[in-house]
Amino acid sequence: MAANLKLPNQGRIFPALVFLLSGILACTELADPEGVQRYRFENPPHFPEPTYTFGNNSVSEKGFKLGKALFFDPRLSRDGSVACANCHIQAHAFADSWLHPFSIGVDDRKGTRNAPPLFNLAFQKEFFWDGGVTHLDFTPITAIESPVEMDEHFGNVVQKLRVHRDYPERFEDAFGIRKITGPYVLHALSQFMVMMVSADSRYDRWVLGDPSALDAEEVEGLTLFRKHCGSCHTEPLFSDLSYRNNGIQADIIDFGREIITEQQEDRGKFKVPSLRNIAVTSPYMHNAAFRTLEEVLDHYSSGVNYHTTLDPALVTKGRPGIPLDLAEKQKIITFLEALTDSSFLKNPLFFQSDEM
Amino acid sequence: MKNQFKYHKTLLFLGFTVAFMISCQEDDSPQLEEVGEMIVKFENYVGSQPLQLDDEGSTDYSYTNANGQAFNITRFGYYISHVKLEGPSGEIFIDEMKVSANEAELKGYYRVVQGDEDTYNVHLKNIPAGQYNRIIFTLGVEEDGVIEGAVGGILDRAAGAWFWNWNSGFINILLEGHSPASPRDANTIKLHVGGWKDIPAEGGQSQRFFNNNVEISLPFDATVRVNQTLRPSPHIHMDLMKWIADVNLEMVNDVHSPAAGRALTPRLVEAFYVDHTHQ
Ligand code: HEC
Ligand code: HEC
Repeated sequence: MAANLKLPNQGRIFPALVFLLSGILACTELADPEGVQRYRFENPPHFPEPTYTFGNNSVSEKGFKLGKALFFDPRLSRDGSVACANCHIQAHAFADSWLHPFSIGVDDRKGTRNAPPLFNLAFQKEFFWDGGVTHLDFTPITAIESPVEMDEHFGNVVQKLRVHRDYPERFEDAFGIRKITGPYVLHALSQFMVMMVSADSRYDRWVLGDPSALDAEEVEGLTLFRKHCGSCHTEPLFSDLSYRNNGIQADIIDFGREIITEQQEDRGKFKVPSLRNIAVTSPYMHNAAFRTLEEVLDHYSSGVNYHTTLDPALVTKGRPGIPLDLAEKQKIITFLEALTDSSFLKNPLFFQSDEM
Repeated sequence: MKNQFKYHKTLLFLGFTVAFMISCQEDDSPQLEEVGEMIVKFENYVGSQPLQLDDEGSTDYSYTNANGQAFNITRFGYYISHVKLEGPSGEIFIDEMKVSANEAELKGYYRVVQGDEDTYNVHLKNIPAGQYNRIIFTLGVEEDGVIEGAVGGILDRAAGAWFWNWNSGFINILLEGHSPASPRDANTIKLHVGGWKDIPAEGGQSQRFFNNNVEISLPFDATVRVNQTLRPSPHIHMDLMKWIADVNLEMVNDVHSPAAGRALTPRLVEAFYVDHTHQ
C-alpha cells in the first residue's frame, strides 16, 4: 500500500523527509543500516495487523541475537539439560520432532501435550493449546516453570544469567540495563520469536498474484479446503484463533479451554492450530493422535467423536464428521503440502550461532 | 518552479528545527501549579489486633473465625493500583499509571506485603494542593497491567511478582496459612484471588473469566489538606476478619483461579476503612 502512494515532487520532499528523520534520530544512537533491514519485523502484505506490543519492545539486532542465544541455552532449565530449541526445532517449523510426540523435559519427564510449531506468533492473541497465556512475553515463563519442561524458577534463571560471563554485557548492549531483570529476558526471547514469520509458501505466492505457484490439483484442493476446513482454519493464518472441539478425544481426558475459562461449555476445546508447514510438524493434534495427514483426513471424514461440545461445523446431517471421498482427501493433502515454507525452515537468521 | 523550491527549502529548514527541538529538548516546562504529597499507610488487622504472621508449618493458631475454626497466617498481601483522591469542591487527583520493563519507570502500582514494612506506605506525589475527603483505589492489577506484556519491578515474576503463569494474570490478594479445619497436606490454606477480565454471557453461552479486581472507595475520617508543606498521612486499616470470618476453611482452602476467587471478592470492599489521619 505504501509503495502505491505517489508523492508529487518526490525528488524534493524525500530529502526533506530524510533530513527531518535524521534530525529526530540525531539524539538517539543509530544502528548499522544493514542490521536494521535484516532485523526488522516486516508484516506480510496479506496478513492482518500484528497483535504483539512492538511499542514496548521493538526488534533490534542485538535484542534478537540475545533472544536467540537464550533460546538455544540449556541454562534456562533446572539441571542445564534442556533448551527451548530441544523441543522447538527449526526444520520442523519449531515444533518437536515426530520422535517425541510428547516433548521430553528435564529428567526425561514426558509432557501431556504435543509441542506446537512456532511461527506467526506476532499475530496470535493467546498462546498454548488452551490459550491460557495472554501475551507472547509470558510464554517462556510457563515453559521454564513447567515441571515437565524445564522445571526451573524464572527467578533462578535470571540469577544464573546475572553471574554469567557474557550475558550481563549483552543485556546492557541490547537494552541499556546494568542489571538483568525478568522482563528483559522475556523481551529478548520475544524479539527472537516474533521474527519467526512464515508467509512464503507456494500458497502465499499464489495468493499474492503468481498463478503458476499452485498447480491445478492444488487449486482444487484449496477449493475443497475452503469449503470444508476454512471456517476454522481460516486464511491467511489458517486459524481463526478460536477454541473448538474437533472430536479428537473419545473420552475427554484433557479439558483444554475449560481449564482456563472454568466453563463446562469449553470442555475438550483447543485453539485451532495453523496448518502452515503442516507437512513437517507431525505428529498432529494436542495429544499427538496421528502420524500422517491421511490419518487426519480419515479422522475428519469418519473418526470424529461425538460430545456435547463438538463443534457444529463438524456435524453433517446429524452425524459427526465431514463426508469426503478418497480423491477429495488426496487433493486436500496435496494442497496442505503447498503450505510448506522452505525459506522459513531454512532461514539462516534462526540458526544457532556460536557467538557465545 | 522557483516558488516551489523556496517552499521546500523552508520546509526543510523547519523540519530540521522541529526535529532538533523534539529530540534534544530537556523537559523543563515551569511548574505552574502548587503540588504536594500524601503518604497512605496500610495496616492489616485481624479484628482489633494487628496481624501477626506465623512461620510456615506453624501449628500455633492465633486466630479463630466466625465458624469457630482456628487458623494462622504465614503470608499475606495485596496489590493496589489506580489510586484517586477526591475533594469536597471537585478537587481530583489521579495517580499516574505506567507499565514498563524498566522498574524505575513503573508507576501507580503498589504492593503491600505483610512483614515488609517498607511496603506499607503508598507514597503519592504531584497532588494538586487542596482539600481531599475520599480515596479510591483498585485492589489488584487491572487489564492495563497485563496486556502490555513483560513488566518490571513488583510486577516482575522473576523478582517475586504474584503472577499466574498458566492463566496469565496477577493475584490481587494473597493469604496463606494453616488451619486444623483444612483437610489439605499440612492443613494449609491458600487463598489466591486473581482474575482481570470478563467475557459476559451471550447467545446462550455462560460467562467466561471473572474480573475479581475490586474498586474500594473510602471517606477520610476528616478532610485533609495537601500543599507544599503539609504532607498528610491517612492510615487505612484492613480487617481480615471482615473479609474471611465467614469462610468455611474446611471447604474453601485452596483458591487458585478466577472462578474460585469470585466468592471471596465482594466482601473485600468492606474490609478496608480509614482509621485516622496524621495531618
Ligand atoms: C520439554 C519441551 C519444551 C521446552 C523445553 C520448551 N517448550 Fe515451548 N512448548 C512445549 C509444549 C509441549 C507446548 C504446548 C504446551 C501446552 O499447550 O500446554 C509449548 C508451547 C510453546 C509456545 C506456545 C505456542 C503457541 O502457538 O501457542 C511458545 C511460544 C513456546 N512454547 C516457547 C518456548 C520457549 C521460549 C521455550 C524456552 C524458554 C520453550 N518453549 C521450551 C514444549 C517445550
Ligand atoms: C470446527 C473447526 C474445525 C474444522 C472445520 C476443521 N478443523 Fe482441523 N482442527 C481444529 C482444531 C480445534 C484442531 C486442534 C484439535 C486438538 O488438537 O485437540 C485441529 C487440528 C487439525 C490438524 C492438526 C494440526 C496440528 O498442528 O497438530 C490438522 C492437520 C487439521 N486440523 C486439518 C483440518 C482439515 C484438513 C480440515 C478440513 C477437512 C479441518 N482441519 C477442519 C478445528 C477444525
